[in-house]
Amino acid sequence: MNLHCASSARSRRDFLWNLGGGLGGIALAQLLGRESLGDEAFLPRPEFNGGLHHPAKVKRIIQLFMNGGASPMDTFDYKPELARLHGQMLGPKEKPEGQTGAVGAVMKSPFEFQQHGQSGRWVSSVFPHQAKCVDEMAFLMAMTTKTNVHGPGSYMMNTGFILPGFPCMGAWISYALGSLSDNLPAFIVLPDARGLPYNQKGNFGPGFLPARHQGTLINAASSQPVPNLFADARHLFATGDADRDSLVLLQKLNRADATAHPGESNLEARIASCELAAKMQLSAPEAFDLSRETDATRTGYGLGNKVTEDFGRRCLLARRLIERGTRVVQVWSGPQGAANNWDNHGNIQTELPLIAASVDQPIAALLADLKARGLMDDTLVVWTTEFGRTPFAQGSLGRDHNGGTFVTWLAGAGIKAGVAHGRSDDLGFQTAEGKTFCYDLHATILHLLGIDHTRLTFRNAGIDRRLTDVHGKVVSEILG
Amino acid sequence: MSSRWLLLMLVLTRSASAEFFNEKIAPLLEARCYKCHSHQSGKMKGGLTLDSRSGWAEGGESGPAVLPGNVEKSLLIRAIRHGDPDLKMPKEKLPPEEVALLEEWVRRGAPDPRGAVAVEKKTDWWSLKPLTRPPVPGSGHPVDAFIAAKLQEKNIARSPEAGRNALIRRLYFDLQGLPPPPAEVEAFARSNDPEAYPKLVDQLLASPRYGERWARHWLDVIHFADTHGFEHDVFRPNAWRYRDYVISSFNRDTPWPRFIREQLATDTFFPDESPVALGFLGAGPYDMSAAGTAPKAFEYMDRDDLVTQTMAAFVSTTANCARCHAHKFDPITQEDYFALQAVFAGIGKGDIPFDEDPVVATARKRWNTLLAAANTAASALLLSEQPLVTQWETDRGGAVVWEPLEADVFLSSNGAVLTRQPDASILSNGPRPEIETCTISGTGKLPEITALRLDVLADDSLPMKGPGRADNGNLHLSEFEAALFEPGATEPRKLKFSRASADFDQTDWGIARALDGDLKTAWGIHPRVGESHHAVFELEQKTVLKLGSKLVVVLKQLHGASHIIGRFRLSMTSSPGNVATALPSTVEQVLAIPSNQRTLEQQTVLAAFVLKRRAEEELARLPVRAKVYAASSAAENERGVITLLEPRVIRVLTRGDLDKPEAEATPGALSAITPLKARFEVKNEAGRRAALADWLADPQNPLMWRSIANRVWQFHFGRGLCDTPSDFGHMGGIPSHPELLDWLAAELRENGGSLKALHRLICTSAAYRQASAENPGASAIDPDNRLLWKMNRSRLDADELRDAVLSTSGRLDLTTGGPGISHFKSSPGPQATPSLDYSVFDWDSPGASRRSIYRVVWRGIADPFMETLDFPDAALLAPVRGFSVSPLQALALLNNEFVLRQSEHFAARIEKLGSCTGDRIRAAFRLAYFREPDPGELADFTKLADQYTLSAACRVLFNSNEFLFLN
Repeated sequence: MNLHCASSARSRRDFLWNLGGGLGGIALAQLLGRESLGDEAFLPRPEFNGGLHHPAKVKRIIQLFMNGGASPMDTFDYKPELARLHGQMLGPKEKPEGQTGAVGAVMKSPFEFQQHGQSGRWVSSVFPHQAKCVDEMAFLMAMTTKTNVHGPGSYMMNTGFILPGFPCMGAWISYALGSLSDNLPAFIVLPDARGLPYNQKGNFGPGFLPARHQGTLINAASSQPVPNLFADARHLFATGDADRDSLVLLQKLNRADATAHPGESNLEARIASCELAAKMQLSAPEAFDLSRETDATRTGYGLGNKVTEDFGRRCLLARRLIERGTRVVQVWSGPQGAANNWDNHGNIQTELPLIAASVDQPIAALLADLKARGLMDDTLVVWTTEFGRTPFAQGSLGRDHNGGTFVTWLAGAGIKAGVAHGRSDDLGFQTAEGKTFCYDLHATILHLLGIDHTRLTFRNAGIDRRLTDVHGKVVSEILG
Repeated sequence: MSSRWLLLMLVLTRSASAEFFNEKIAPLLEARCYKCHSHQSGKMKGGLTLDSRSGWAEGGESGPAVLPGNVEKSLLIRAIRHGDPDLKMPKEKLPPEEVALLEEWVRRGAPDPRGAVAVEKKTDWWSLKPLTRPPVPGSGHPVDAFIAAKLQEKNIARSPEAGRNALIRRLYFDLQGLPPPPAEVEAFARSNDPEAYPKLVDQLLASPRYGERWARHWLDVIHFADTHGFEHDVFRPNAWRYRDYVISSFNRDTPWPRFIREQLATDTFFPDESPVALGFLGAGPYDMSAAGTAPKAFEYMDRDDLVTQTMAAFVSTTANCARCHAHKFDPITQEDYFALQAVFAGIGKGDIPFDEDPVVATARKRWNTLLAAANTAASALLLSEQPLVTQWETDRGGAVVWEPLEADVFLSSNGAVLTRQPDASILSNGPRPEIETCTISGTGKLPEITALRLDVLADDSLPMKGPGRADNGNLHLSEFEAALFEPGATEPRKLKFSRASADFDQTDWGIARALDGDLKTAWGIHPRVGESHHAVFELEQKTVLKLGSKLVVVLKQLHGASHIIGRFRLSMTSSPGNVATALPSTVEQVLAIPSNQRTLEQQTVLAAFVLKRRAEEELARLPVRAKVYAASSAAENERGVITLLEPRVIRVLTRGDLDKPEAEATPGALSAITPLKARFEVKNEAGRRAALADWLADPQNPLMWRSIANRVWQFHFGRGLCDTPSDFGHMGGIPSHPELLDWLAAELRENGGSLKALHRLICTSAAYRQASAENPGASAIDPDNRLLWKMNRSRLDADELRDAVLSTSGRLDLTTGGPGISHFKSSPGPQATPSLDYSVFDWDSPGASRRSIYRVVWRGIADPFMETLDFPDAALLAPVRGFSVSPLQALALLNNEFVLRQSEHFAARIEKLGSCTGDRIRAAFRLAYFREPDPGELADFTKLADQYTLSAACRVLFNSNEFLFLN
């Protein structure tokens, strides 16, 4: 027997239910999310453009996560000093905790860097397409983390804690703001077709938040991307007309039961959830149907090209989903493991260009597409990874884990385009100035959504938990 | 100035400062700051409180608020000056004179005499008060008396008793997690026996289904799962034994204090019992990657998890909140926290082996003890087993007769010259190869053989007189192999050996290495060169030597550096294997002396040899040990067997930072629970855990008794009397009925910790038996039913729902115990974590219909169906399950393969229960709802079934609120 609802929230929710259909602009799904909140029930406020505490500039987010630790000094963080010091043993004498191999000599980037755009950002040759977009991006050039082990690092960048069990940013946003539409889940995760990242589903879990805030895992390549949207076709008794008529009878039965037990909001909520399920059945297939896009769009995202196909499909899907009301879409590049991701221990020169090429054109296409459709007015795109890599060689050609400094960029609504905040040291080993943690990134993202990160809390085991723990400062330098 | 004067001045200054603070500063802080920064307002914005000295000294998220003496650097001053746009407090700027006062206070060194008061306040808290049994406020059932007293205060009446069907359904799900059999529902509804209900309670508590249900609650509380659940999420094939232990503990009604002691330190308290209870220590996640690459940080966080789990589960305390600073709200110091870490400083997670059969366990203990005694020549113990030694000597009889192998072929693989000597030995000379393999073939005179013997002989022609040809006279025999060529056979038959012995073994180069199949290991005799040695290889089975059989022996000597044999002889015997053995010369010497003339030392030499041999034989014969995933000072995981000879040193860490270690922590628990002793004077690892178990299980530990009494109540009513069951601190809930909670806790203590007695008490109360229907009048006064004027209505949880569907479809398999059932297809993943596919599982496969408690819970890759029904994330302690409603949950219930397949099974079941659709629908309603359909329902369902089959009707029933909710 279980019952979980905090005191005053329940009566409040009952009150809302008793309003009947007149819910004026609030998505039904969002209302379902209102239970178990205390006095400060979070309701997006129209006067704040849907924000909670101040006006929101962003309503939807696409987060691109480069799994494995994308190398900064081979992508966005140009370090000419590395060429000068190439081959010298300047690293720590002892293997730092979390690195997998011995610390080798300083290693220059094998890639050519050039300045791009009005802003003159240096970008290496592995990102020719993103290089053309630098004037739309704001860079955090001195991101840092508390660990250089994948699991804890990925937890930290997603949940703000290095341990499992905490809600990820997407779950917090779903909890704070709910869905923009009844037709789709509020938070969707699109993992690499080759497998899940480190921590498996832990990176997109709801932690102690109610289960409905978890990331809905979508297999973009599957014929049935939303799990259980329909019964398997072989069950004729549960598909097509049978499904429709069964649902009608179910709702009739449930309404009769609710009438017999007046005042029970959880029975009403179940009825509403079945209605929403039916709505989702109607609209989700359309949202996931990429054949509705023009050939030009599909080609632009890199569909039809083996290298870019998978990530491109998921970027395009991400755009379709946020367009239709999903709040947060997280797109992963690379599964866990020794290959096909950003964890280039063995050979930067051969491993990085492959994975970089798989995301580069799709990302540029996504930014252009969002802009062309006017979606950039309230959409934020975030590119990040769990940590950086050492300026010192691992073996002779690879790079090891380095939590010291790495790069994140943001683009879209509320962002001061073309700026960079922070600087790593001359080797790109540690931060030099303008250091930012995941806390600051998360605080900034919440700020753009109209949320004060210190006031978005959930009590668990005696602590009012926050996405930003007891830290976080909005990085105003990159805000427009 | 005399010291007396100095003291007096100090006192005067202090009292003056205190006066200044009390008169000027305290009222100012109270008026201007307490609203957002005090315990009395319940607000600690930014984590800062200003109602105690420690409040501002420790400060909040931005660090200390006041640096005594340093006006410019004190955050509080910066804030009230409104000079910094990011730091302006309070919103409305203070008048200049108040700012000046506070500046002066800081300048004077911020005197603040309040410190101690606040700490005392922290201990004055309901959960920490000594547990005494309050008087029952009335007559009748004690539970009802307490509930009625509160209801009367608000003038609310208790609800009438629930209907018979609702009652039996409630009780079955509550105590067993399953729906009642329809026949029992009918019998219960018809029964006139006033004792029918209490009898039912007893019957359900006595059933093994009870343990399966209530074990699930405990596993939630302690975040148990079958896998690691971290970066690499790897299966723990032996975790299930702890799950079975919990089930059986509930079924046996293990007294709660004993349950605590078993889980923390069975090895100390009950050394003769299996250690499965220690699975508690291994319940949480394990990060094998960080354990390898970042051990310091990992071990720290892993201990933190164990401290958090232990204190939350047993005493509902958030001790982990004191990791970085003294607990902000509860009387837990950082020293307390690190004392708890020190309790677990000597263990690591992994498999620990044990004997399931106690007889075997006793035998293993005996032989291991003897083996250890033999290895250390512990005279007294060895001589106490003299009969075994005498028996060995008697069995041995006279000397063993060895017949030489008549070698007709002997070959060197690498060009050494082998020549046969008059004594039937073979000498190796000529070119000296680096490595060598000698093959010798010949016949024997014996009709059957039990062992082969290899003599390696000293010879003047060899370096250092041999017996090896290495420069130092040593040799390395990598492997000894033999085969039999019988007349007429086309293939040789390989002979198998059971044991090898030698008169002398070089350290780390023992004779067993010549039989281990590993070409990198070998037997050697250094430093005893220049003398002959011998080794005996006992055959697994006595082998008949038919006339004309050829015996082929291969001596592999592959170490290199010419560690090859210089001169050797092979021979054979038919004496029993036990007798034909190579004895060390020391033993030979003892045996040569008549037994009644041996000295004590000589007897010990012999006994050590004989008993070591015997112990090794006996141990090899014992069955393979079982394992349980737990934690121990020696536990086996992916990194091998990790052994900690003594506990790690634990230091108090400034702000919880590993790089800022301070004083060494002493093992212990919380200081605030008087009269319990807060620090443990034990050094050894297991003793620390035992001491904590004793502290937790102490009759005078009020937290423990309240904690478990509240949990039991919670699982009966859907909400605890205190609704934060793992947090009884200041940030947790306040009990709705504190006296009732204390009475139940005291009752539990008095009955010896029997949960079953507590269940019986609660389930027979009128409060528990009342209906769940709404009552607008009562609801207006107490909308959340905190006073229990009705029973709480609840949805079935994930496990109940799954089991109920199986029970209703007729497929439930009640097999108990054993390894878990995986509800997914597993395939290799990119790294250690496999890839799991829950969507392709065959719900008709063996074990698929067993109860949910026997399901493999993969911590990081949750079953999507169970997850959407709020099965908790096992990365977290889950004292309360969530209860969510979402469209994705509705879709899962409608379309998940499990529900669809069970709908078909349910349809097949009711098909047989009627001859027309109407009858079948009636049967379905009886099985799912325990009632008849009304005419409208019957018509609707018949229509649906006729159009789309009975399965469609069954699917609707499984999805209906009447099935999903308990009245």
